Amino acid sequence: MAKPPTPPTARGTRRSLPPQALPWLGLLALALALPFFMSVLPWLKAWPVDWLLPLADWINAAMDALAPALKPTTRILSATLEWPMLALRDVLQWLPWPVLVLAVLLLAFHASGPKLAVICLLALLYIALSGYWRQAMNTLALVGIAVPLSLLLGLLIGIAAQRTKIGARLVPPALDVMQTMPTFAYLIPLLVLFGFGPVVGLIASAIYACPPMVRNVHLGLSRIPGEIKEAATFAGSSAWQKLFWVELPAAMTQIKVGINQTIMAALSMVIIASVIGGFDDIGWEVLSTMRKARFGESLLAGFVIVLLAVVIDRISAAYASKDSTQRTPLLAGRIGYCGGGLLLLCAAFKLSGFDPSITDPAWAKAVATWLDTRLEGIVVAYGNALTAIKNTLFYYYLLPLRIGFSQAILPFTWGFDFTQLMRWSYAIACGVLALGLSWRSGWRKGLLLAALAYLLYFGLTGMPWLVFGTAIILLAWQAGNLATAVFTGLALTFILVTGMWERAMLSIYLCGAAVILSFLLGSALGVWAATRERASAVIRPIADTFQTIPLFVFLIPVLMFFQIGEFTALLAIIAYAFVPAVRYTENGLRQVSPELLEVATEQGATPWQIFWQIKVPLALPTIMVGLNQTVMYAFAMLVIAALVGTTGLGQQVYLSLSAADTGAGLIAGLSMALLAMVTDRIMQTWARKRFAGMASTAH
Amino acid sequence: MLKQAITATLLSLSMGLSAVSAAEMGAKDETIKLTINEWTGQHISAHIAGEVLKKAGYDVEYVTAGYDAQFTAMADGELHGAMEVWSSNAPDLWKKMDEAGKIKDIGETGFEAREGFVYPLHVKALCPGLPAWEALKDCAAKFATAETIPQGRLIDYPADWGTPGADRMKGLDLPYKAIPAGSEGALISELKSSIAKKSPLFMVFWQPHWALAEYDVEWVDMPKAEDACFNDKSWGSNPNEVNDCDFAPARVFKVVWSGFEEKWPMAHAILENFSVGTQDQQNMMAAIDQGGGKVEAEVAKWLDDNKETWEGWIAAAK
Repeated sequence: MAKPPTPPTARGTRRSLPPQALPWLGLLALALALPFFMSVLPWLKAWPVDWLLPLADWINAAMDALAPALKPTTRILSATLEWPMLALRDVLQWLPWPVLVLAVLLLAFHASGPKLAVICLLALLYIALSGYWRQAMNTLALVGIAVPLSLLLGLLIGIAAQRTKIGARLVPPALDVMQTMPTFAYLIPLLVLFGFGPVVGLIASAIYACPPMVRNVHLGLSRIPGEIKEAATFAGSSAWQKLFWVELPAAMTQIKVGINQTIMAALSMVIIASVIGGFDDIGWEVLSTMRKARFGESLLAGFVIVLLAVVIDRISAAYASKDSTQRTPLLAGRIGYCGGGLLLLCAAFKLSGFDPSITDPAWAKAVATWLDTRLEGIVVAYGNALTAIKNTLFYYYLLPLRIGFSQAILPFTWGFDFTQLMRWSYAIACGVLALGLSWRSGWRKGLLLAALAYLLYFGLTGMPWLVFGTAIILLAWQAGNLATAVFTGLALTFILVTGMWERAMLSIYLCGAAVILSFLLGSALGVWAATRERASAVIRPIADTFQTIPLFVFLIPVLMFFQIGEFTALLAIIAYAFVPAVRYTENGLRQVSPELLEVATEQGATPWQIFWQIKVPLALPTIMVGLNQTVMYAFAMLVIAALVGTTGLGQQVYLSLSAADTGAGLIAGLSMALLAMVTDRIMQTWARKRFAGMASTAH
Repeated sequence: MLKQAITATLLSLSMGLSAVSAAEMGAKDETIKLTINEWTGQHISAHIAGEVLKKAGYDVEYVTAGYDAQFTAMADGELHGAMEVWSSNAPDLWKKMDEAGKIKDIGETGFEAREGFVYPLHVKALCPGLPAWEALKDCAAKFATAETIPQGRLIDYPADWGTPGADRMKGLDLPYKAIPAGSEGALISELKSSIAKKSPLFMVFWQPHWALAEYDVEWVDMPKAEDACFNDKSWGSNPNEVNDCDFAPARVFKVVWSGFEEKWPMAHAILENFSVGTQDQQNMMAAIDQGGGKVEAEVAKWLDDNKETWEGWIAAAK
């Protein structure tokens, strides 16, 4: 009699491991065995110097050979670019300030209405009264040329990416590098090729600012319905006619979004461009005050940039969202504007007894001094409390992440020695817990626990490179796909053989620590903003400010509170990286359809249940985009964080900058870009798989 | 008149041969561009030099330029002179351009530069043996923080300026961990917050710097630097290491584009003669950074008060 096959019980399926788990088991065995061999085979811990690829030397040799040949061309290019910028600067400087204020006012009114006009008026009045008018105009001239240049480049590249096969392949990764590679990393070759001066800043801005335009042009052109294109072909238009008269106008809404984003990106580069100098712009002021650690003054100067960004962003966003087919201002209205403008202009001229470009306002000095004394007051009053906070986070959060429990637990940090017995108990306890967890809730959770325990024991910098690298590649393969895994493998190999591994791990550690806290803080604020209108009204402008103010400004108070070191760097990164988490969380939660919530309420779900079981799962795809952006922002801040004394890739970028070492700078910069790209790829492919079916249900 | 002539003669003697040959004005219709870097002292030096050149009949423009970036600009002849280059933090870019003969070192600025270890005055109460360097040995625990325990904490220059602090801690066998500052702003922030909180602080610093005029800061007394200290391990208190002494005095010098002398011979000679005392420089810095004065006004005042000095530079150049 044949035994009936026993139906697989729930427990049975859990117990048999799926094939995906097998490589992880192998890795786990390797990870546990490696520490015992590290003393015998030191290359397991650190990649030997002899095995390094002298890539930096090769790049420098190539640069030395190529630069003389390229210089004539690049110098002509920089002369061509410099001329319009200087002309624009002279025009802006010559223009009486009330004229510009009025022009912006009218523009704002035309773009949106009286509310925006008032905001712009106040912003410009601040700039005029703060004594930074001249510098602000110089900055405007730089942005004024950088933006059209980026837009033109973006448009051409975007069309090429959409039209040609090569373009479609090459453009997306190139854009990633352009956006994630820190500018300081390629400043030296730019200086050598294009010569000293604001043109270098202009080119750097254009490199950073054109990707959003490319992406939006590409997206806009790809989304045009086939019927429209067919209709154009039937009408007998040539390819060019079709592009200019049909496709580009049809994609205009998307392209306008790109224009707005490009403007904002160009503005955010202003401060970086001023490191080179040569233009007496507002970024230079911020840098000089930062050097003197004058918080008050640097905040006042930094606000000029924020306000410039607000004015330009709001006006361009208003134009972008405006329906181009609708023609609101009739001719009569326009004449009315101009007439009124002229009248106001004359009155303003009379009033403009003072020249904002030369006044050194007393009020600004008073405010700056007040801010500085306040700051010192806080340092004195709460110094000990602040140090206590810093030490707690440092001992129990940062140190374990960096060097692991194995080295972090010492009598003067945790208050006791990490004895051999404790070490074994930790290992056994974690092992048992991991096994239990995989038994009860699946192998993935057990594995996660084991990985976490391993990570916290050795720390990111103490982990053997082979274990960390293999784990990331496996993750890329299973969360993403084979292509992601191959890319990850190549990127990590590059970092390893160019000798950047150790610095990269320090950067990953700092970024990781910052991302966790930024995301917690940001999403909590986002949830709050999504549930309370008033909270949202308060949080939004704050988030905007954090995103546009040059963060150099905040380095000073954070430094005074917490001194030089990684903790200060951590806070600086968080200050920048929490913003996208706030925005996307709020947007995601707000997008959940109200009908769905009504149904849930009718069925008696508590607010708690509604939040966790309906809102969060539906908002998750958007929240994940926010997390992704948080990671990108954290990487972008690494270079600035190095100004408060970190030792990762950011420091390497500065070292190469001052050593004029093109090769080393490019390699450090590229390593950063690759880390950001790897994280981005893994998260995106995972999200695409995970949320493939969700997009339709979310709306 | 006599005094002026004497000054001029002395200057021409001290400046070497260049001033002996009578110099021509050269291309006086073309603007000489002097760099403005990121710190007040340099603004003063540049403006003094520029104003004197103007008095001699030249057209001068001041151009803001990053300290590192200015050397590529001078190598290309786009900018023409930098009035304050510090040997202690001059980037390799300077060395490269100098070796390639594209820029030229035209002598020191005249003020005594000093680098060394400093501490705010209140720290003396925490570590009574100061300013003798030996006292630091036993005070290490007082300077310890979460990052450095059990060692003391020393704030070193930003890593891209070099690591003189770390080198000396090793040389003198002092139990301190050197933390690179990252930027000048970070160094100043440390100083400000230490003074506000009366907390321990021990760091690498330099003069002339406005902070020394603004805050009560003292130098640590160290064994005087000799060449042997940096080459010979057996020299000094630690027989096993070099660097067991104070900093070698930093050179602060003027750099011009290599084509400068040919184009503006007299201006070149004037800049060579340019020399301002440490005290003058520090007083102007304090008047600007603390007193809220303007660089232009303070420099104009100095020019009025020191007519003989700068007229001597011009006279010697003619």
